[in-house]
Amino acid sequence: MSRFFATGSDSESEESSSADEITPKATGTTFNKQQALLLSDDEEDTKRVVRSAKDKRFEELTNIIKTIRNAMKIRDMSKCLEEFEQLCRAFLKSKTIVDKEGVPQFYVRLLADLEDYLNQLWEDKEGKKKMNKNNAKALSTLRQKIRKYNKDFETEITSYKENPEQSAEEEEKDDAGSASSSESDDDDDDGVTAKSLLKKKPQEEEKAPEANKFLKGAADEESESEDDEESEDWGSDSVDSGSESEDNEGAAASLAVVFLKKAQDGEKQTDRRKKHKKKERLEEEADEEGDGEEGGWEKVKGGVPLVKEKPKMFAKGTEINSAVVIKKLSEILQARGKKGTDRAAQIELFHALAGISNENNLGEGILVKIKFNIVSSLYDYNPNLAAFMKPEMWKKCLECIDELLDILFNNNNIFIGENIAEDSENLAISDQPFRVRGCILTLVERMDEEFTKVMQNTDPHSQEYVDNLKDEGRVCGIIDRLLQYLESKGSTEEVCRVFLRRIMHTYYKFDYKAHRRSLGLQGETKSEQDQEESEGEDSAVIMDRLCKFIYAKDRTDRIRTCAILCHIYHHALHSRWFQARDLMLMSHLQDNIQHADPPVQILYNRTMVQLGICAFRQGMIKDAHNALLDIQSSGRAKELLGQGLLMRNMQERNAEQEKIEKRRQVPFHMHINLELLECVYLVSAMLLEIPYMAAHEFDARRRMISKQFHHQLRVGERQPLLGPPESMREHVVAASKAMKMGDWKTCHSFIINEKMNSKVWDLFPEAQRVQEMLVRKIQEESLRTYLFTYSSVYDSISMKTLSEMFELDLPTVHSIISKMIINEELMASLDQPTQTVVMHRTEPTSLQNMALQLAEKLGGLVENNERVFDLKQGVYGGYFNRDQKGGYQQKQSYQRAPDQRGGYQQRQGYQRDHKGGYQQKQNYQRGGYRTQNQSSY
Amino acid sequence: MLTVFFDLWSDKKRSKISSVKTFSSSCVFVRLQVVLKIIKHYQEEGQGSEVVQGVLLGLVVEDRLEITNCFPFPQHTEDDVDFDEVQYQMEMMRSLRHVNIDHLHVGWYQSTYYGSFVSRALLDSQFSYQHAIEESVVLIYDPIKTAQGSLCLKAYRLTPKLMEICKEKDFSPEGLKKACIGYEHMFEEVPIVIKNSHLINVLLLDLQEKSTVADKHELLNLSSSNHLEKSLQLLMDRMDDMSQDIGKYNTYCRNLSKQQQQKQQYLQRRQQENAQRQSRGEPPLPEEDISKMFKPPQAPARMDTLLIAGQINNYCQNIKEFTSQNLGKLFMAEALQGHSS
Repeated sequence: MSRFFATGSDSESEESSSADEITPKATGTTFNKQQALLLSDDEEDTKRVVRSAKDKRFEELTNIIKTIRNAMKIRDMSKCLEEFEQLCRAFLKSKTIVDKEGVPQFYVRLLADLEDYLNQLWEDKEGKKKMNKNNAKALSTLRQKIRKYNKDFETEITSYKENPEQSAEEEEKDDAGSASSSESDDDDDDGVTAKSLLKKKPQEEEKAPEANKFLKGAADEESESEDDEESEDWGSDSVDSGSESEDNEGAAASLAVVFLKKAQDGEKQTDRRKKHKKKERLEEEADEEGDGEEGGWEKVKGGVPLVKEKPKMFAKGTEINSAVVIKKLSEILQARGKKGTDRAAQIELFHALAGISNENNLGEGILVKIKFNIVSSLYDYNPNLAAFMKPEMWKKCLECIDELLDILFNNNNIFIGENIAEDSENLAISDQPFRVRGCILTLVERMDEEFTKVMQNTDPHSQEYVDNLKDEGRVCGIIDRLLQYLESKGSTEEVCRVFLRRIMHTYYKFDYKAHRRSLGLQGETKSEQDQEESEGEDSAVIMDRLCKFIYAKDRTDRIRTCAILCHIYHHALHSRWFQARDLMLMSHLQDNIQHADPPVQILYNRTMVQLGICAFRQGMIKDAHNALLDIQSSGRAKELLGQGLLMRNMQERNAEQEKIEKRRQVPFHMHINLELLECVYLVSAMLLEIPYMAAHEFDARRRMISKQFHHQLRVGERQPLLGPPESMREHVVAASKAMKMGDWKTCHSFIINEKMNSKVWDLFPEAQRVQEMLVRKIQEESLRTYLFTYSSVYDSISMKTLSEMFELDLPTVHSIISKMIINEELMASLDQPTQTVVMHRTEPTSLQNMALQLAEKLGGLVENNERVFDLKQGVYGGYFNRDQKGGYQQKQSYQRAPDQRGGYQQRQGYQRDHKGGYQQKQNYQRGGYRTQNQSSY
Repeated sequence: MLTVFFDLWSDKKRSKISSVKTFSSSCVFVRLQVVLKIIKHYQEEGQGSEVVQGVLLGLVVEDRLEITNCFPFPQHTEDDVDFDEVQYQMEMMRSLRHVNIDHLHVGWYQSTYYGSFVSRALLDSQFSYQHAIEESVVLIYDPIKTAQGSLCLKAYRLTPKLMEICKEKDFSPEGLKKACIGYEHMFEEVPIVIKNSHLINVLLLDLQEKSTVADKHELLNLSSSNHLEKSLQLLMDRMDDMSQDIGKYNTYCRNLSKQQQQKQQYLQRRQQENAQRQSRGEPPLPEEDISKMFKPPQAPARMDTLLIAGQINNYCQNIKEFTSQNLGKLFMAEALQGHSS
C-alpha cells in the first residue's frame, strides 16, 4: 500500500506535470503556429551542423533524464544515482553550450523534481524501511549529492518551483522552440538574416533579467511594445495599466495565452506588491525617522527596537525633559525579556540614558530609576541561572550599585520600595520627595549571589580567583553601606535580611586581630595598616550584635536558623567552645534540621564540623568525635559540606540534579580543610578507641566506637609491606598501633612530626597549644591502654614507675588510675603507703564468659521471636506484652545475679551505662544530620 | 560359637513379620557385639569432631528390632572418586551372607560430637532408609560421654508425621504448620536393650570375678567444665543460627504482609475505577493476573529451623543432665564435708 501511496504522490506530481502539459500543448500549438511563422523564415537556414553541436548534448541529457524518471517511477534508487552521476558528467560536458544558452529548463525541472521526490522518499519512513540496503544507501547519497548540486541552480529551481506550469510549458516550448532559439543563435554565428538579428535582440533583452527568464522570444510577435511595457513594469513596478493592456492583448491572442499571461501576471503582481510593501516600509521608516526628529522619540514597532537606531537616542535639538526620558525608559524596558532583544545593547542604552539624564540634570529620581534598571538588566544578561557574570559585567554591576547607594545616601528625599506602584512613582517633581519603585536590598542580595556564582565558577587555584576574591571587600563594603542605609530607613524584615548577608560574609573569617589582641601581641604589630585594621570592631562583637538583633526581630525561621548556625560557627572558629555548644544545644536545631532546605543543611553540617574541630582544640575528644561522627561515617564529607561533588553513577543523579548540586557548592575560600577534618576525627577516634579496644579485648561482641577508624586500621593491616607512613591516614594508623602497645613516644612521633604539622596541625591558629594538648592526651590514653593490656601481667605496679614511663606527674597518674578503678575498668586497688597499684584477679572464667554471652544471645533471640509474634498478632495485640518482657528481663538479671562476685559484669554494666551516657551526651547530634545523611543531603 | 548363636536366633527369623505398613517396634535389641564394634570403629577411625558411620544388620522379631551385626563404611578420601559405596555395601552383605550372618539391612549408625547430630544430612539419609526399610533406625553413639563412664547409645527413628512431610518435600511455613510438627515430634527415640546370649552373660560374669580393676571411681570428680564449655559453645552457635533464621522469617513475614496490603490497595483501586467506568458506561478494565503482578516473596525453608530447634533441645538436654549430675555431686560433697568437720 505504502509503496503505492509513495509513488502515488509521485504520480500526482507526474499528473500535475502532465496536466501542465495539456495547457502548454494548447499554447504550444499556438506558439508553434507563431513560431512556425517565425521559423518558416529561417527554416532553410537551419543546418544539421547546429543540431549536432547542441542537440547532441541536449539529447544526451534528455535521454538520461528519461531514464532517471523511469528509475524514479520504479523507485530504483541505485539506478537513479548512477544515472544522475552520468547526467552531471554530461551536463559538465555541455557546459560551453549551457554557458551560452543558460541552463536548459528541462534540466532544472528534473533537478527540482528529483529533489522533491527524494525528500518525499526520505520523509516516508516506512517506505524507507522497506527499501533494500542498496537502495537506501543510494537514496541517502543521492539526496546529499543533489542537495549540493542544486545549490548551483538555486535561482533556476526556485523560479521553476514558483511556477512549475510555466517552466513546464517553457520546456515544451523549449523543446519545440529550442531549435528556433538555438537556430537563431547559430544563425547569429553564421551571421544571417536581419530578421533573426532583429528577433534576437529582444530575446537577449529578456535574458537579462534572469529571474524571470520567460521565453518571450516566442511571444515576440505578439507585440514588442508589450514586452517593453513589461520590462518597464518590472523596472518601475508602478504601472498598473500594464495588466490591462495585457488583457487587451490577451483577448486578441489565443485563450491559452491569456491564461498563461494571467498566471504570469498574478505572479508579477504579487511581486510588485511585495516590492511595494518594501517600499512602503522604507517610507515608513523614513517617516519614523522623521517623526523621531520631530517628536524626539520614535514608534517602537513590533517590540524590537532596531539596533542601528540605538546610538541615536534623541535627535538633536529635542528638549530633553524627564517625561521624555521616562518614556524612553519604559520603551526600552518593554523590549526586556523579549526574544531577540540584544541584552548587551540594552544595557548600553540604559547607560546612555543615564548619561543623558545626568547631563541634563533631570533629578535624582530618574537617575535612581535608571540605575535600578541597569542593574536588573545586568542580572538579566545571562539567560540561565547556571551561568555566571562576565568579569566586566560584574565590575559594572558593582560600580552601578555603588553609585546607586551614593545617590541614596546623598539624597534623603528618595523613597524606594517594592510596594510603590508604577503609577504612583514620582521621579521628576523635585519639590516632593521622590518615590521610586525598586528594591535595593534585592539587588544587593542578587549581587551577593552573583558573587558566589562567580567564585564557584572560577578555578580556585588560579590567580583569577584571587583577583575575584579581592572584590569580596567591595561586596562587603556595599553590604555594609546598605546596612547603614537600611538601618535608618528599612523595615525590620529588610534589616534582618541585610544583617544575614553581613553575617554570611563574616562568620567564616577568622578574626586575626582579635586573636592577636587576645594574645596580647597587639603592640608588636607596627605597620600602620595593621594598626588601622585592629581599630575596627571585633568580628565577634559584630556577630553578636547582628545575630541578637535577628534572634529578637526575625519572623522567618530560615534567617534565624542561618544566623544561629553562623553564630555557632563563628564561636567555634574562635575556640569559644562552651558558647558554641550551648547555643547549639539551646537552638534544638538538630531536631528539625532535616526539614530545612539543602543550603541550610550544608551550613548546619559546616557548623557541626567546625564545632567538632573546636572541641578537639579544646581537648574535648569525645565531643569532637561525636560531632564529627556523622559527617565522617557517611564517607561523603565532601558532599555534605558542599565542597565538591562525589563521582556517582548517572542513575543516582541526572544532569539536572547535578546542576542544582553544583549551584549549592560553597566557594573555595570558605572551604573547611577536609584532610584536617579527617585527621581530627581519626585522632580523636584513636584516642577513644584504642583504650576501649584494650579494655574489651576479650568481649565476644564488642561495639565499635568508630567504624571509620576500624576501617582504616584494617586497611593498614592488609598492607603486604609496611613502610614508613606517608599519608595522614597511615600516620594515624601507625600511631594507633604504637598506642596499642602503650608506646606513647612512638605514637607521639607519628602524630606530631614535620609531615603532620605541615599537613594538619599548622592549620590551627593555636597550633602550639593544640599539640601540647595532644601530647598530653596521648600520654594519658597510652597509660590507660597499657594498664588495660598488661594489668594481667602485674601483681602490683608502682605509680612512680608509671609516671616515669609515661612522663606524667604522679598526681595525674593517680587520678587516672583512681578513675579507672571507680569506673571498674580496672580491677585493682591503690596502696597508699607504697604508692602502688595492687591488681585483683577477677576475670571471669571462660565458662562464665560464655554463659554471659549465651544470655545475651538468648535475649536477642527472644526479641527476634517477639517481633515475629508481633507481626502475627498485629502491631498492638502483643501476646507477650510488657510484663512478659519485663519478666524476661528479670530473668536475665536473675541469671546474672549468682555471679556477682567479680566486677566483670559490672564492667558489662559499665559498657551499657557508658553507651547510654554516650547517647545522652550525643543528643545534640543524634537527631540532626543522621537523617539528613540518608536523604540527598 | 557363632554357629550356636546363629541357631539360637534363626528360629526367630522365620517369624519375621513381613511388610508392616506402620511399623513401630517398642524397643530395639542390640547385641553387645554390635556395640563393641561401633566403639571400636570410632576408636580406630574417628577423631575429634569427625564422624564415623556404618550399616546395621539384623532382623525384626515380633514388635522388636534386633540388631545383630554391623559393619563400618570405610573412610575414603576425596581422591578416590570412583569408590562406590553402594557397591561396597552390597559386596559386604553378600560376603556376610556367605558366612551365614544376618544380612538384612535394618539401619545405620553414626557417632556424634557432643550430641550434635540433628542435621539435615541425618534427616535425609534416615528418611531414605526409612522410606526403603520401614523398620530401620539410626543408632547414635556418643563417644565422649561414653569415655566419661556411661555408655551413650541411642536409637532414633523419624516420626510418621515427619516421614510424610519429607515425602511431600513441603518445607514451607504453611506446610509445616499444617502438619503440626514441632521439634519435639521429629524424632522418636526407641529404647535400647542390650541383649546378650546367655553364654556371653556367663562369660562376662566370669570375667567380672576375675577382673583386677579396683573400683576406684572418681565419683565426685567435677572436672567436667570442659564438656560444659563445649556444649555451651555449640549451643551458642546454634543459637546464632536460630536468630538468623528467625530474622529471615521475620523479614519474610513483613514482606508478605506488605505485599498483601499492596495487593489489597490495588484491588480496591481497580474496583473503584471499574465502578467509575461503569457509571460512565465504559467497559470495565480487563482482569489482570494479580498473582503475576504480585509475586509472593520466596518463603524461607523452615525445616532447617526445626532441625536447629531440635538440636538446641538436644544440647539443652545434655547440659541439663550434666549439670544436674554435677549439682548432685556438689551437694554430696557438701554433705560429706559437713559431716567430716
